[in-house]
Amino acid sequence: MKRYALLKTLVPVMRDSLVVCNIGIPSQELFAIEDRDNHFYMLGSMGLCTSIALGLSLNTTKNVIALEGDGSMLMNLSTLATIGNRGPNNLFAVIIDNGSYGSTGDQASYTSAATSLAGIARAAGCERVIECNGDAAAEHLEGALNEGQSTLIIAKVESGNEPVPVVPLHPVVLRERFRACVSH
Amino acid sequence: MNAPFSRQIIDTLKDKQVTFFTSVPCKLLANMITLLEQDTAVSYHPATREDEGLGMCAGASLAGKTTCILMQDSGLGTIINALAALVQFYQLPIVMLMSYRGSPGEPVPAQAPMGMLTPELLKLMQIPMLHCHEAKDLNEIASYVDFARVKQGPVVILLDFHLMSGDQ
Repeated sequence: MKRYALLKTLVPVMRDSLVVCNIGIPSQELFAIEDRDNHFYMLGSMGLCTSIALGLSLNTTKNVIALEGDGSMLMNLSTLATIGNRGPNNLFAVIIDNGSYGSTGDQASYTSAATSLAGIARAAGCERVIECNGDAAAEHLEGALNEGQSTLIIAKVESGNEPVPVVPLHPVVLRERFRACVSH
Repeated sequence: MNAPFSRQIIDTLKDKQVTFFTSVPCKLLANMITLLEQDTAVSYHPATREDEGLGMCAGASLAGKTTCILMQDSGLGTIINALAALVQFYQLPIVMLMSYRGSPGEPVPAQAPMGMLTPELLKLMQIPMLHCHEAKDLNEIASYVDFARVKQGPVVILLDFHLMSGDQ
């Protein structure tokens, strides 16, 4: 299973949540599968996906899901410490771990070798951390949402990208339609 | 702790409906951080890095909040991309309360290089800046919060070392 197939299984589970999606091909693939107003596509600022989701979750009662990547998580590991100490129970993250930097040419990331994001997250204070194969991620996410317990799911998939176009929407359009979902 | 300037700054931001705060610490901001920690009327969560803090502010902004990050000017070097490609790109109003460590009075030599660059970097990025040299300058903070909302972008309140080091 690659990221695109995993995202297809996640979309039906995320329809009632606020979704913050990682920069680059992850956002492009999600947009191609199903564009929805509750999707916030990051168009820049690699590494900040989970931090944006954290700030949002602290200011809404709705469920917030970060669709994070292994490379971008490695870029901002210390936000796991903030989540471990301050993360509310409406914050969820699916870290799509394909062991590579997919948007830049599939260069190997360190999670393909010695590094465990699950181990880092637990040591940072995150209580509920699930590491699973990509095909089990949607079921784990649905369970976590139903239980109302903040959970980090590290979903292992193969490296590889779907040939999809860039997200054509203006950032202010994305902002406004997403804000409407938050306040609705 | 008396700290009249720190109290005035936080009270001004609260009066202007800034409700979400984050910070990366500085000794010049310590009194404000203490006030925020003790204040149950605002949401305050420390960040580990300035770019993480801007990400948190951006998320809070998507929930309709006006937000504030407290940080040193040296942290500006960490967040150029987050400012340009997130805060300015999505046009999010964020108040950046910045201690000007690299200004006269600063005893740490390593603070000087970023201090020399800070005003020019902000100008280059077209980020409005209120440079507070003395107490009366703090009275303009409220209008800069308004301007962040009007302009839909970041504004910087730059607080001189001499001004804040005397605020005990």
